[in-house]
Amino acid sequence: MNSKIKAYLFFTLLLTSSVSGCLSEEALESLESENPCTSEIQVRESDGTLKILTYDIAGFSDELIAQFTDQTGVQVEFIRTDDAGGILDQMMLTKSAPLADLMIGLDNTYLPTAIQNCLLMEHSVSNESFTTTSMEFYDGPLALPFDEGDVCLNYDEDALAAANMSVPTSLWNLTEAEWNGKMTFPSPMTSSPGRAFLAATVDYFANSPGNESGNMSSWWNAVAQNGAIFTSGWTESYVNYYTGGYGEYMEGHIGGAYLTVSYCHSPGVEAYFSENYTHSTSLVLPRASFHQVEYTGIINGAAEVTAANQFIEFLTSIEVNGNMPDYNSMYSVRNDTDLPETNGYRYHADQANVSTAITQHLIEQNMDDWLESWQNAVRIN
Amino acid sequence: MILVAGATVKLRLKPSQSQVQNSFRTLVVAVFLIGTMLPFVYAFIRLKMVTGWTFWQALSGFDTVYGGSEALRFTLLEAFASSMLTVIIGLPIAWFLSRHQWKRIRLLRAFLAVPFVTPAIVAAMGFLSLIRQDGILTKIGIDLRLEEGVIGWFAEVSGWQHPGHFIALITAHAWFNLSLMIRFVEPTLSSLDPAWEEQLSMLPGGKTRISRLKNLWIPVIGPAVLCAASLSFLFSFTSFALVKWLAPTSHTLESLMAEAGSSAGIAGYRIESSELIYSVALLQFLILLLTLWITALLQKRYSERLSLLSEQGVRKHHGPPSRLAKLVILLGILFTLLPFVSVLISSFQARKITNGSVKYEWTLEGWSNAWSGDLSTMGVGEAMSNSIIYALCTLIVALPLGWILASTIFKLEQSGWSKSSKLLDLACMLPLAISALMVGLGVLLGGLRWYPEMFNWFLLPVYPHVLLTVPFVVRVMLPAYHSLDPGYTEQCKMLNLSPLRTWHHGTFMFLRGPAVVAGSLTLAFSLGEFGASWLLVRSGTWDTLSIVVDQLMSRPNFDPLIHPTAMAAATMLMLLTFALFLLAERFRAHDQRSGF
Repeated sequence: MNSKIKAYLFFTLLLTSSVSGCLSEEALESLESENPCTSEIQVRESDGTLKILTYDIAGFSDELIAQFTDQTGVQVEFIRTDDAGGILDQMMLTKSAPLADLMIGLDNTYLPTAIQNCLLMEHSVSNESFTTTSMEFYDGPLALPFDEGDVCLNYDEDALAAANMSVPTSLWNLTEAEWNGKMTFPSPMTSSPGRAFLAATVDYFANSPGNESGNMSSWWNAVAQNGAIFTSGWTESYVNYYTGGYGEYMEGHIGGAYLTVSYCHSPGVEAYFSENYTHSTSLVLPRASFHQVEYTGIINGAAEVTAANQFIEFLTSIEVNGNMPDYNSMYSVRNDTDLPETNGYRYHADQANVSTAITQHLIEQNMDDWLESWQNAVRIN
Repeated sequence: MILVAGATVKLRLKPSQSQVQNSFRTLVVAVFLIGTMLPFVYAFIRLKMVTGWTFWQALSGFDTVYGGSEALRFTLLEAFASSMLTVIIGLPIAWFLSRHQWKRIRLLRAFLAVPFVTPAIVAAMGFLSLIRQDGILTKIGIDLRLEEGVIGWFAEVSGWQHPGHFIALITAHAWFNLSLMIRFVEPTLSSLDPAWEEQLSMLPGGKTRISRLKNLWIPVIGPAVLCAASLSFLFSFTSFALVKWLAPTSHTLESLMAEAGSSAGIAGYRIESSELIYSVALLQFLILLLTLWITALLQKRYSERLSLLSEQGVRKHHGPPSRLAKLVILLGILFTLLPFVSVLISSFQARKITNGSVKYEWTLEGWSNAWSGDLSTMGVGEAMSNSIIYALCTLIVALPLGWILASTIFKLEQSGWSKSSKLLDLACMLPLAISALMVGLGVLLGGLRWYPEMFNWFLLPVYPHVLLTVPFVVRVMLPAYHSLDPGYTEQCKMLNLSPLRTWHHGTFMFLRGPAVVAGSLTLAFSLGEFGASWLLVRSGTWDTLSIVVDQLMSRPNFDPLIHPTAMAAATMLMLLTFALFLLAERFRAHDQRSGF
């Protein structure tokens, strides 16, 4: 046979064999199962190191981790994703062969999906001395809160005053002409504060406070028609477009948006780092906020279960958790803790008027539909 | 008798040596092709299974992907405009750089080349600080960010949304790709026999500038310019970080995929993400494959062009640079350095707000935090040592692999296997056409299925680094093979030197320089770290310098010290990269062509 033909045959054989046999659809399909809780899970092989799946939480410094290692003798390694959504995606992708033992960072808009898909296993840490607000959404054995805060609208007081605009008293005000192009929202498809605010709007319009009418979809469609800027994440909204936050001092600031989605205590964080100065404040309309709780939990198929429990205990201990306002710009979940008074952190942090209508069950059943409705509502082209 | 015996031995050994060599080459090519294609194919099969779409359905379904058509339009437009701007800015610089005797030309080349290996996030920060509100451009009325003044007027008159963002993006792409133009055009021009130009000017076809352009310059440097432009198109097409930061209201196909990427490939969950990735990645792959094929054709034409003279002789003939040449090169260097300088300055500045007014204070705290790792889980020192370890490991694998692939392509050409050599040449560029995200997904899914423990292996990031750097090694080494004089090898054989010594004296000695260039490029690319996005799994203990920069930049910057800390880490990365390029320039042979 001609040597050229031989060579071509060899490479064809090489590629097709590598692709067909081992990569057949049957082989891939065996990874999946109709019931998410019945698929076989390969327990991670123990290597003596506690692997933690998380996003970039500022407070997890070298020093803090060294403190844990000193106390317990357990070595820690982090696997990082960009945000809470990334943690869930990673857990879903690696469900049959988990890469980490512990997750830190799923919030209450993602946790129901994780529970529904059997991605978590029971921990053994006590939840005594935890705030009632942190335990309201979920108090089961699969996850434990480690920080909390209210997601709500923030607005630029100075910009509103300069433009002679009045502070909204209803979400429908944002569909009026004076707000055209002056608000920005992180997408609930890719951002957890965005998702939390979507849940808040579901509650807001479902309960029609005062003389409100309409539903969540029609409101989102109206704000989209009114020039709302949608971004992929909180950072893009808050830093690039929002005029009231630290973004105005950053490279890349575009501005133009007097209102965005952030936390009710974000003005407090602004003030804390700016010698008690901020011109951002939160808009605490009834039912237009969502109480976000961030959780930690042991991943189903974890190898280092004892170490994972030790880390949960460490993270939720009063010594470490009391510093959450510093570590992660969020409230601690421990009783008898509060935001620091320094530089007006506590003073500028507003209390939201939050309802508890959005439950774990409701999110579990409806989040996909809400996201789809949102996506259809904001498609205006 | 001895001669006859010797001849007999030779006759017996020669085919077996050649067979061993061929088998080895085949093995290397197979390893490379499988390493490149397997994760990609695996990811496609997975997406096919999750979406239930066939190949054709995925392609035809592109229209239904949310934001897909806009992203495709924007990607094509920005990539085309970026490559045009690269030619407009890069050609005069390459022209003047190549036609005069410059003092410290290596330093000049290194300055102009560093942008190409600069991590995109560092480049984005540099450009953002250039176009900020109190920046030079805004002060002269060109506000590319808020789009006020001239740009605002233009936006209003033309009805074009965000022309300022677009201009900033294509300028950053041109900055990034500037060295492509210089590396492709300069070697041809700097060694072109001046007699050609002089003789042509006396002929009827060369009397005017236009006729000389038509009859001399376009045929001589045209293929090189087109080659640089097509590569510039390719890199702008796959741009992600620069788009995210400089044109936040627009999407390229790559940035569209990056947003949905992490939730793709999961059965029964966020199927729309899998559909988006499947459809967009496939279309992007086909477009990039076409671009690479065109580039390979152009590069072939470019490397076959002319017989050229010694660069030093030609430069001497043209003499020292004119004022215009000095001005153009000065502007080029300024254009290159400005984003770097602004990153450096930002590393020493922190905002301070007193009574509601902001001022920027000079401070070393950013540097101190960067070293101690106070604002991240890793200090710059540790991250740098990780970066260097990965870069060295990448070098150890990518350089020999790319070298062998280049020599195989050359051997195939020499043996008359022209089509095979072209195919292999194209295959070597495949990693540049495959979406990083798809490889990440494929590696993750494949790894989880067959060998989950591989994710504990700290050298795992070397894999995507190798895939990404091999095409560049091939592109540097292949022209070097083309310029080899076979006479030296024949002479070694006549002297009856051993095969190893024949290779050493006849080949290695002439490829040493290009190999050092390829090695430095490999190190620089690896340091620039494209691997983070390639791997969906990123372990904190493996963080490299560019991951630390990215990590700090992505964090809420309420704390005023986060930004200078990120900029300090970025400055360290820039300095390291620059030092490597300076080293590469010392070894670059005067007639080394392309070589990026």
